[in-house]
Amino acid sequence: MADAPLTSHPVADPDLVDVLAGLFDDYRQRRPGPSVHLAFDADLWGRLDDLGLTRLSASEASGGSGAGWLEAAALLGIAAGAAAAVPIAEHDVLAAWLLESAGLPNDGRLRTVCRPDPSGVAINVTWASEATSIVALWEDRDQWRVSDVATERAEITAGRNLAGEPCDTVTFDLADLESGVVVDHTIGEQFHLRGALARSAQVVGGMDRVLEIVVAHVTERTQFGRPIGRFQAVAHLVADIAMEAALARSATDAAVARAASSDWSDPGMLFAVGVAKSCVGHAASVVVRGAHQVLGAIGTTLEHDLHLLTKPILCRRSEFGSVHEWDETLAELASSAGHDRLWPLVLTGRAAPAPASRGPG
Amino acid sequence: MPRPLIPPIVTEQPALTELRYEVRAFLAEQIRAGAFVPHVDTWLTRWDRDFTRELGRRGWLGMVVPSEYGGQGRSYLERFVVTEELLVVGAPVAAHWIAERQIGPSLLRYGTEEQKQAFLPGISRGEIVFGIGMSEPDSGSDLASVRTRAERVDGGWRLTGTKVWTSGAHEADGFFALARSAPLDPAHRHDGLSQFIVDLHAPEIEIRPIISMGGDHHFNEVHLGGVVIPDARVLGQIGDGWSQVTSELGFERSGPERFLSTFQLLAAAASAMNEGSLPLDAGLGRHVARVAALHHMSFAISSALEERAESDAGGSGAAAAAGDVDVDTAAAAVKVLGTTEEGDITDYVDTLTASGWPRGDELFSLLEAAILQRPGFTLRGGTNEILRGVIARGLGLR
Ligand SMILES: Cc1cc2nc3c(=O)[nH]c(=O)nc-3n(C[C@H](O)[C@H](O)[C@H](O)COP(=O)(O)OP(=O)(O)OC[C@H]3O[C@@H](n4cnc5c(N)ncnc54)[C@H](O)[C@@H]3O)c2cc1C
Repeated sequence: MADAPLTSHPVADPDLVDVLAGLFDDYRQRRPGPSVHLAFDADLWGRLDDLGLTRLSASEASGGSGAGWLEAAALLGIAAGAAAAVPIAEHDVLAAWLLESAGLPNDGRLRTVCRPDPSGVAINVTWASEATSIVALWEDRDQWRVSDVATERAEITAGRNLAGEPCDTVTFDLADLESGVVVDHTIGEQFHLRGALARSAQVVGGMDRVLEIVVAHVTERTQFGRPIGRFQAVAHLVADIAMEAALARSATDAAVARAASSDWSDPGMLFAVGVAKSCVGHAASVVVRGAHQVLGAIGTTLEHDLHLLTKPILCRRSEFGSVHEWDETLAELASSAGHDRLWPLVLTGRAAPAPASRGPG
Repeated sequence: MPRPLIPPIVTEQPALTELRYEVRAFLAEQIRAGAFVPHVDTWLTRWDRDFTRELGRRGWLGMVVPSEYGGQGRSYLERFVVTEELLVVGAPVAAHWIAERQIGPSLLRYGTEEQKQAFLPGISRGEIVFGIGMSEPDSGSDLASVRTRAERVDGGWRLTGTKVWTSGAHEADGFFALARSAPLDPAHRHDGLSQFIVDLHAPEIEIRPIISMGGDHHFNEVHLGGVVIPDARVLGQIGDGWSQVTSELGFERSGPERFLSTFQLLAAAASAMNEGSLPLDAGLGRHVARVAALHHMSFAISSALEERAESDAGGSGAAAAAGDVDVDTAAAAVKVLGTTEEGDITDYVDTLTASGWPRGDELFSLLEAAILQRPGFTLRGGTNEILRGVIARGLGLR
């Protein structure tokens, strides 16, 4: 046996995961019945806030819990599995991080986040109408600025996404964006990657719960005198759901592990996030289609929980870059890697060997 | 929460990466020297005993075999990275693949001291070549129905029957035959089966080629005409054949050969897109992503198997990180996803290429070989239909 460790096991703090699982299981039992529109759950948000979970990944210096991406991804996934109507990705993982990167204060009140266009308009801003403040990342000619804009200073046109979440158009006063703090030029890409990985973590959490619902259904529902899961055609649909969900989880967990161990500085992050986003996106097709097929008519109703998961899964897989765009990005990386460097790209996310001056990596 | 299908992912540390670099440098050198031409599905179709022996000399065979049996005494994780590096360049590894992957581990687990001494050093040097004698003309997916008979004779067992689809039997020194050593009890179909270590050079054995649809000869029909196997060549316990055969499925089904058989074709497509002879297409990204994810899955299972092996060997608390994942179900999932992906890569490149592609071209010859090998990917080692059933059972459906 070699002395140097061969592998490391990147797992989220198991005590925290236990707490989260308990909390969201409990939420699932008590949450309001399914509806077309999701209302922000202030009660749940309050409970999360009391436990420090609304600021889980923000640094301790800025009043957060300083947890890493392993924990943040666990929270995102478990909350998504419970279809919790709370903006953890927006408020904590993205907005709090942007404020910190810009050196701006964070009073912990509810925030969402967006990237307005040059004219100051941002579309598809989830939870804007519920937030007290919106963190805007704005490309001002060739530099990026971050502003923390009180919601009442912006014009909000309310909308809804497929999941039924508030998903609004926000028009800013350009002066509020122009006065934003200039941040590092890499923040734009970082924001896109973090958003994409947060969405992936949410989708795999949702898919885990879909599988649970599917397995329970096919073992309980009886037709032709036996549980439908005994029919091979049904069993194979369920196996496909489980396998695709597992593949998506492996891809996502690998990207999260890389983000956590390098604090996002690993040059292979673009590839790793792309792999997650691609696998998650394509898995969503199989999982959603298969789950609805297996559930039969009951799964198409408002009353049944399934759509509380399948709609967000489809909605989120297209955010922070469509599945196709991510496939294209990966195709470009792969083709420029070429024949001999494709495998290093697959393993490390980098086609070129690490330059010696940059040290190990 | 339900128990996860796949063990948690693990991250490779520098000690393993160094090993990769070492193997990679050797392989690049071999390719430059013309020792082999990269190809697809080489773990089944490309035999090169010199190359195999060279791997043995370098310590890249028998990696999990303890040094007292001539092996390297290293871990399954180290073996994993070596096999990945060999597969991605399409090296000619068929001669040792089966011995290295499953015969060695089976001998370690069930073999007698004498059997270990007799075979493991030769396997580790790449000198003893093995095949698998499971399938029969009337027993494919329903393996427990094998009819090859093992009758008790003085000092051993007489084997009569026919094995089929035996990859490499015409090149191999021996195989493990699964045979019925007690009459079939319909209520307990898995009882009464035993494994025998058969010398394929014995005169009572006839090996007839079966030619594959591309014209290659890689598998065979093996007729066992009453060959007597001495007691010393019974593997494990008489009557335990079924549990012995199934206990190694985790290794057999989850390894990197279940998703990398067509990696050379994917790499050729990537460079064709780079050079402009194929259109740059998003599908390439999708396939590269799946291969990357399959690597993580397969590696996680390898790590769980390593932990299982360590705890079998009396290690303390080793299984912790693998949680309560059922490794055999996980392995079935990798095999279904991975072998489907190998075929999908083939089909993808096929749909991108026009019929006027120049015949002598590297991409074309890889593609043609992949198309011909493709049907076997999702059959060999347990068909994907059977494996979906295994997964469904693992999920509690029956
Ligand atoms: C390239 C290659 C190499 C091989 N090498 C070896 C070797 O070295 N040694 C060896 O022993 N064997 C070898 N095999 C044989 C292999 O293990 C068998 O092909 C496999 O077990 C399937 O058996 P079969 O071909 O008889 O198909 P069958 O079992 O007859 O199956 C035919 C079809 O029916 C489906 N089917 C069967 N039963 C069920 C069921 N219960 N539910 C749903 N679908 C079902 C199968 O999935 C398949 O699609 C090799 C096969 C290939 C293709």
